[in-house]
Amino acid sequence: MSCKVHIPSPLRSYTDGAHRVPAEGATLAEVLSSLEARFAGIRFRVVDEQSRIRPHIRFYVNSREVSELSAPVGSGDTVHVICALSGG
Amino acid sequence: MTLSADERARYQRHISLPQIGRSGQERLKAARMLLVGTGGLGCPAALYLAAAGVGTLGLVDFDRVEISNLQRQVLFVSGDLGRLKVEAARERLLALNPDITVRTHALTLRAENVCEIVGGYDIVLDGSDRLSTRYLVNDACVLLGRPLVTAAIHRFEGQAMTYLPGQGPCYRCLFPHVQEGAAGSCAEAGVLGVLPGVLGAIQACEAVKIATGIGTPLISRLLCYDALDLTFTELPVSRRPECRVCGEHPDISAPENSGGLCNTEALVSARRLSAAALRGLIAAGPTLVLVDVREPREFAAWHLDGARNIPLGELERRLAEIAGEGSPVFLCRSGQRSLAACAIALRAGISSPGHLEGGLLSWAAQSDASFEVPLD
Repeated sequence: MSCKVHIPSPLRSYTDGAHRVPAEGATLAEVLSSLEARFAGIRFRVVDEQSRIRPHIRFYVNSREVSELSAPVGSGDTVHVICALSGG
Repeated sequence: MTLSADERARYQRHISLPQIGRSGQERLKAARMLLVGTGGLGCPAALYLAAAGVGTLGLVDFDRVEISNLQRQVLFVSGDLGRLKVEAARERLLALNPDITVRTHALTLRAENVCEIVGGYDIVLDGSDRLSTRYLVNDACVLLGRPLVTAAIHRFEGQAMTYLPGQGPCYRCLFPHVQEGAAGSCAEAGVLGVLPGVLGAIQACEAVKIATGIGTPLISRLLCYDALDLTFTELPVSRRPECRVCGEHPDISAPENSGGLCNTEALVSARRLSAAALRGLIAAGPTLVLVDVREPREFAAWHLDGARNIPLGELERRLAEIAGEGSPVFLCRSGQRSLAACAIALRAGISSPGHLEGGLLSWAAQSDASFEVPLD
């Protein structure tokens, strides 16, 4: 299943500046694996070694917050990765 | 708080709005608002709040005006270079509206002073560029029951959210913990100059709505603005029952300097090297482990001979590359990222990490006048 992932500004260095990229997967975990295959290193920026979502990151599928990597992602969904910003 | 004839004329376009009217304008005159940070966000917010007739504005910033600020910090003019931001801002705001009071706080907010300062105001706007300050201000607002309008920016993207005591999630509910260096800052990554104008104006608008009691505030919603796409995305945010400051069993009863962040620890334990001291270490031998934690683009533009590049965001997972080689010395542009790098190294058990205090800017100033540190 394919979806779109909105990449937050601080992580666009992994995606050659792209702010929205296609990905595959039926769960958030699979979507992240799909991203990692294309953009090595990006997964570790959003989940830690124990596969826990980092506390400065939030995931939304369409506009529903998901807090588990097992959360389902449907075909055509948009996954928003939200990262804390510190600039003022 | 009644309005003079001059004030009624000045605020006529507000008074004409039935939602505001004379009583709403009087509420603005009575309002005391604190702007934390007089930078990209604070400048436009302060301009609009002063123009709107907010009776008392407080400005917190310890910094001085630099030339790279003028691309977006619209309170300042070229002649202000080197001045304290809060002083230059006060002058500009009073020139716009001499009827208001502008209080200046040229200091760093810390656990010891944040409650006293925040307590003197009714509404707080956070536009600081430090995560540790964001948590301090959030915690003070929650503990003192003050509304907080927070915003943050990075490159072409901005976020905003409003906290009203007892009515919605706070900043810690949104992001329970952020490691310094994990989130992007403008100095490191650059920022579109107009971007903070959009977000700062949203903050000012929220503050005016709260003071006058109109409209629906941006509570329980995170507003994300992407300037490149021109999209505003609203995402729901819930209170976290386990939130350390506003949750059901809070364990933060007073603001803490560390805020759960790492740099305080590093300030104590890291070796802080001057440019001259680092020059001495480099001369002493080739075994020095010199790690430049700037972004690859910055590193490519110029770096010290012998330095290797591990961007701060990748340091934690790449520590193995430098473990066992001796005590590393971290470098960055201004000394903030390198301090965060020390904290990461200390937590991983690497002994005596050091960093170049003041960063490559200080190196350029003290050791190598020919070197120009790439801006942002």
